[in-house]
Amino acid sequence: MFLALLELRAARGRFLLMGSVVVLVAALVGIVSGFTTGLGDDTISALRRLPASQLVFSSDARSDQFARSLLDGSTAAAWSEDADTETTPLGVSITRGTTHRGAEVDLAAFGVEPGSFLAPSVTSGDGLADVAADSMVMSAKLADEGVRVGDTLVIDRLDIELRVVGRTERSSYGHVPVAYIPLKTWQRIRFSTPGAPASATAAIPDQFSALALRTPPDGASSAALDARYSTTTLTKEKAYEAAPGYTGERVTMNSIQAFLYLIAPLVVGAFFAVWTVQRQPELALLRAMGASRRRLLAHTVLQAALVVVLGTAAGAVLAGAVGLLVGEQVPFSLPAATLTVTMCTVAAVGLAGTALTLRRVTRADPLTMLGANR
Amino acid sequence: MSLELNAVTVTLGRTDARTTILDGLDVTFEPGRMTALVGPSGSGKSTLLAVAGALLRPTSGQVLLDGENLAGLSDDRRAKARRERIGYMFQSGNLLSGLTAIDQLLTAVHISGARPRAHRSRAEEALNRVGLGHRLRHRPEQLSGGERQRVALARALFLSPKLLLIDEPTAAVDRSQAGDLAALLAERAHQDNCVMVVATHDRTVAEAADRVVDMAALTADAAPSAPAGR
Repeated sequence: MFLALLELRAARGRFLLMGSVVVLVAALVGIVSGFTTGLGDDTISALRRLPASQLVFSSDARSDQFARSLLDGSTAAAWSEDADTETTPLGVSITRGTTHRGAEVDLAAFGVEPGSFLAPSVTSGDGLADVAADSMVMSAKLADEGVRVGDTLVIDRLDIELRVVGRTERSSYGHVPVAYIPLKTWQRIRFSTPGAPASATAAIPDQFSALALRTPPDGASSAALDARYSTTTLTKEKAYEAAPGYTGERVTMNSIQAFLYLIAPLVVGAFFAVWTVQRQPELALLRAMGASRRRLLAHTVLQAALVVVLGTAAGAVLAGAVGLLVGEQVPFSLPAATLTVTMCTVAAVGLAGTALTLRRVTRADPLTMLGANR
Repeated sequence: MSLELNAVTVTLGRTDARTTILDGLDVTFEPGRMTALVGPSGSGKSTLLAVAGALLRPTSGQVLLDGENLAGLSDDRRAKARRERIGYMFQSGNLLSGLTAIDQLLTAVHISGARPRAHRSRAEEALNRVGLGHRLRHRPEQLSGGERQRVALARALFLSPKLLLIDEPTAAVDRSQAGDLAALLAERAHQDNCVMVVATHDRTVAEAADRVVDMAALTADAAPSAPAGR
């Protein structure tokens, strides 16, 4: 410790420079992690909140299932009966509307049966189960865009009026805030043709995007039911990939993060490699004075640990500060657990980079002191 | 405690360019005496110090320090011997860059496994004794060549080693300082009852020594063709 600290103090300029690089790399990893989580939340938080274990889609929809899949009521009823588990239909579509106070909003309409296990719990106002057909429970995120409980919202070009009766927790789908509406209303929005005569509404089909299962089937297996009814059953987590843009975003952000995890050990390793080469004469002198290899290793590792751990901690603070600064303006979410895991990984890969230089530390030859000329 | 070199041979280089620097050397150094090793450049003075100080393993022969053969020890055991029993002052490159004079001494304490803080006042005193009381917080680049040598000497003496090996201590100091240094070395050899071997070209140091060993005479039977600087 003594010698490690003395050297840190003696070469504080170099270590500060290196520490700054670690701070920036750690902060960048933290910020990317915050955006990864934030964007993920912004895309699938509504799906994550669904109290369902599995979702059943029509088998002809192989991607973007929430947009492409359509199941009809009779298929769903037969599926449910054979599965012997609690099920309820779910409709998902993205639309636009304008409140009577002029607030224009995009919204992800989640059509659910009022009173079913998918009906949202409300933090204020009334729930869907308690009110009339053209009611809507909005996500808290819509409140940020100027929608209030009690407002009337008109779906653009369809002139379908929705009354905002309650508010639930912040949730979104495909970066759009969610509005929970009765399934019948959702079907009118999904299947109505803009400008069509009112008589056409009589032909609205009894279809929806997916069938939500509260628990996995007790009766026949999902695979058998899928084969029987031409459906595809996915776990809720797997169904996240059916959300628009989710997989692309994850791959992009995770790739950036992976590259940063590669860069961190290279940067730290390169610094300590140069540092070790530069101080070969000092290491040789210490060996000549009787310092054991273990002591030299410990002192090098301690220096690296101080630089990496302090740099990472400062980077974590910086990433957290960025999160506070951007607030609700951008999809950024950096919970303490995520931040801790991310920073521990940065520190671990940084120290792993140092490990590459340790062999050189142990190979310092005290005999070179005979020819020393410093 | 004595230092005994028995039939020590040091051969360096590859098969096609082998050089024998020490050839079957026999010599004993007693405690409480300062021995000056003299001889022309290339006669093997520094190599003898390296072998005696467990820095270099001889090709053959024994290096007995207090009865223990240093030549037969593993690298780690030889490092332990250097740490616990041997003080070394090199001809150059003795100081750790960036560290103050007092920290150079405390580093030796740290390496020995003791707590540096407890030895701070003693370290100040040791630097005072070599005339560097006013340079305690100076780093190597802020010291003259002679001052650096004196810091290195203070560090070599600081832990009162049983074997003290010193290579050209007066190479970078002026005549009057050389006399003072030589006297200090002789005094410490007597006071600490340690084995002290000083390789030197300086007549002042040789005159202060209790015994002078001429490398040319020691290796007379051999045919050394050492490279320059040895």
